[in-house]
Amino acid sequence: MIVTMRFFAILLTISSALAQDAGATRADWPHYGGTQFSWRYTALDQIDTSNVKSLAPVWMFQSGDYAENLQATPIVVDGVMYLITARARVFALDAATGREIWRYQYPEPRNTPGFVGNRGVAVGDGKVFFGTKDNYMVALDQKTGRQLWRVNIDDARQCGCNITAAPLVVKDKVIVGGTGGDGAHRGYITAFNTKNGRLAWRWYVIPGPGEKGNETWKGDSWKFGGGAPWLTGSYDPALNLVYWGTGNAAADFYDAERVPAGADKSKDVNLYTASVVALEADTGKLRWHHQEVPDDLWDYDSAYEVLLMDREIRGRMRQVLVHMNKSGLTSVLDRVTGEFLGAFSVPEVRTWITGITEDGKLVGRNEPQLGKTTTICPSAAGAKSWNSMAYSPRTGFLYVPVNELCNDITPNNRAAEEGRNYMNGEFPMKLAAGRSTYSHVDAWDPVTGKRAWSMPYKYVLLASMLATAGDLVFTGNPEGEFFALEAKTGNRLWSYQTGAGHRGSAVSYAVSGRQYIATPTGWHVSVVGGAAMSLFPDQDWRLGSTLVVFALPEGTR
Amino acid sequence: MNGPSRLLAAVFALAACSSAQNLAAVVKQGEQVFSKSCATGYCHGVRGGPGGAPRLAARGFDQAYINTTVTRGVADTGMPSFATSLSRPDLVAVVAYVATLNGIANPNVGPGPAAASGPALTGEAARGAKLFTEAVRGFGRCSTCHEVGGFGIPVAAPIANVPASAAALKTLATPNVKTGAMSGESMPVLVLSDGKQGAVFYDLTSAPPVQRNAEPGSVKFSDGSNWRHSSAIAAYNDAELGAILTYLRAVIRP
Repeated sequence: MIVTMRFFAILLTISSALAQDAGATRADWPHYGGTQFSWRYTALDQIDTSNVKSLAPVWMFQSGDYAENLQATPIVVDGVMYLITARARVFALDAATGREIWRYQYPEPRNTPGFVGNRGVAVGDGKVFFGTKDNYMVALDQKTGRQLWRVNIDDARQCGCNITAAPLVVKDKVIVGGTGGDGAHRGYITAFNTKNGRLAWRWYVIPGPGEKGNETWKGDSWKFGGGAPWLTGSYDPALNLVYWGTGNAAADFYDAERVPAGADKSKDVNLYTASVVALEADTGKLRWHHQEVPDDLWDYDSAYEVLLMDREIRGRMRQVLVHMNKSGLTSVLDRVTGEFLGAFSVPEVRTWITGITEDGKLVGRNEPQLGKTTTICPSAAGAKSWNSMAYSPRTGFLYVPVNELCNDITPNNRAAEEGRNYMNGEFPMKLAAGRSTYSHVDAWDPVTGKRAWSMPYKYVLLASMLATAGDLVFTGNPEGEFFALEAKTGNRLWSYQTGAGHRGSAVSYAVSGRQYIATPTGWHVSVVGGAAMSLFPDQDWRLGSTLVVFALPEGTR
Repeated sequence: MNGPSRLLAAVFALAACSSAQNLAAVVKQGEQVFSKSCATGYCHGVRGGPGGAPRLAARGFDQAYINTTVTRGVADTGMPSFATSLSRPDLVAVVAYVATLNGIANPNVGPGPAAASGPALTGEAARGAKLFTEAVRGFGRCSTCHEVGGFGIPVAAPIANVPASAAALKTLATPNVKTGAMSGESMPVLVLSDGKQGAVFYDLTSAPPVQRNAEPGSVKFSDGSNWRHSSAIAAYNDAELGAILTYLRAVIRP
């Protein structure tokens, strides 16, 4: 009876939230970004600012795969959690207890280049989908974990690319982007039919000869110009548009081979790299684009998450999207037309540009020069890394983990070789000068472009944010603490030492009326995680691959 | 591509032939490979210093250990195998370079890059090799279904006999392609297994082929199909197919 009443309480909360919160999750956490609007926000409010101090672990799941760490966003549907590890072990777990329902192990690929890692599965059409290190899209039966189909996307040995991102299920298709943006490779987004794995469409980030935009590339540089869209996009069902961020142009730090002579660098150079794009969901046809970093010379991918929301801007209700790239420059666009509505920059230390015009053009570009060393802030690791921000419709704030790192970029002019590293520069990282803290969790209002509060942290923050209707914001730090901040003020209300660093994405869901918060744990020593750790030699952030799940103890709710 | 054991043989058996001049050139090449593939800022540091990945200079590594690590990778870390992602000469060179960072003044490098890599493809064969895997062709390239020389997806069995002409390539008999009937749907298939555990087959309806699994008894296979090799290679013209055949003749021995 008590359970039933609690369930009703949650239902009531949910129904009132439904109208205003199209981007909020409820009992399920169905997609990588929560809903296809990618807010990483739950309408569940059982855990709130008054009781969060009682939050305690209720179950843990040791994946047994300690190759890298646990980065995946868990997907929860009807009380079952679907979790994937770095080396593609997939588990279906009872989301209330952690009991294993089925497990699946993808055969270990041999001799494929690239990093080991996986940021999540997608669930839809009775199937569980994921990408692999050797560049396959795989579909499992959601009930049994049996493999149903798999299809190769590209030869990983040739393209130097693979899949670390979670796929996105849109109606009868499963859509995925790939890595390879720092190599000599031409990025693309590919959609397959969920039913049988057959190709539905492919959209190349870089247009081919005869296609509009190809003229923004010098000679044949479009063939290996990068742009890999290596994370997960969003979807607006009413507009039937898919939104995706694209990667940096390659070579990363040297543009003489890819930019046509005399190009106007204020707009549309090396299309459609470092952009956010709207694609028609059924065909993959480009509807519009907005390039955030024309002629990117700093490895400032725009491959990050795309948040869809409706907000009043200058007196008019607009259907907008909010999108941040690695530089921390955050664009607010009309998601119907792509019209630029505003932008703001989140890092406190910024040397790559001096500012942005009202119509979004970069001012005072500080471009690395061949054979010279230029200190650039933020670093190529990003003012924010791939880990996602969150958005709460209750506060109207974006919650962003921001890092204050710089790098000394020395470009070179090596020739492209297909599938090989094509960054063309050394870029050792360093701490921003004159500071004692090197990261902060911020609350930003995307309409005013103003920061509402900021909570500093001495090292780096590389885990995703989770916002809740209980006016809480959750994330973790490399020292192993998983903590809750008050959404309105940034005050720290609760923390728990999970025993390993945080480089993953926490979620919230409910089973039988009880709200849960689940976080992956385990530091990631490759790429950005490793580079960041090398800046703090006295630190030894712990690896791991454990999911830790919290709830309010029985009787305290 | 050759496996690590053959590579080791190439490195060490031919070591006696190396000259000081060759050694310097190989180490220089290794330094370039290192800064491009290893010291990427996200991984090892410049000249083997620390970066996102551990320091490699002055660690007391011997050359065999370096070679094994580079070719096989290190389990449970971000260090991948470079056995196929680096060419053989580049691999030998980068191993030699890292050896010099560890105080090995005279690492074994074999007779040099040219000899280690075997006869290079030239002219028509080289053009054919490029066409076989050409990325701009998307799923319309040969390597979507064939693996040759370490590249491509081995959907079809290894190519054993090279057809005589472009015309023969178009009319190629494909007796292994059958027709599969499942859930009222008919499709051309390549059957990988069909038994008590169910069936595994490639669905060739469209490119790329999809490897599909079927419950026991849920799919029926029959000989013959409407699938034609000419459709799969339609993106190539006859001259291009001729170059591809020249390439295959150069690398495939019946």
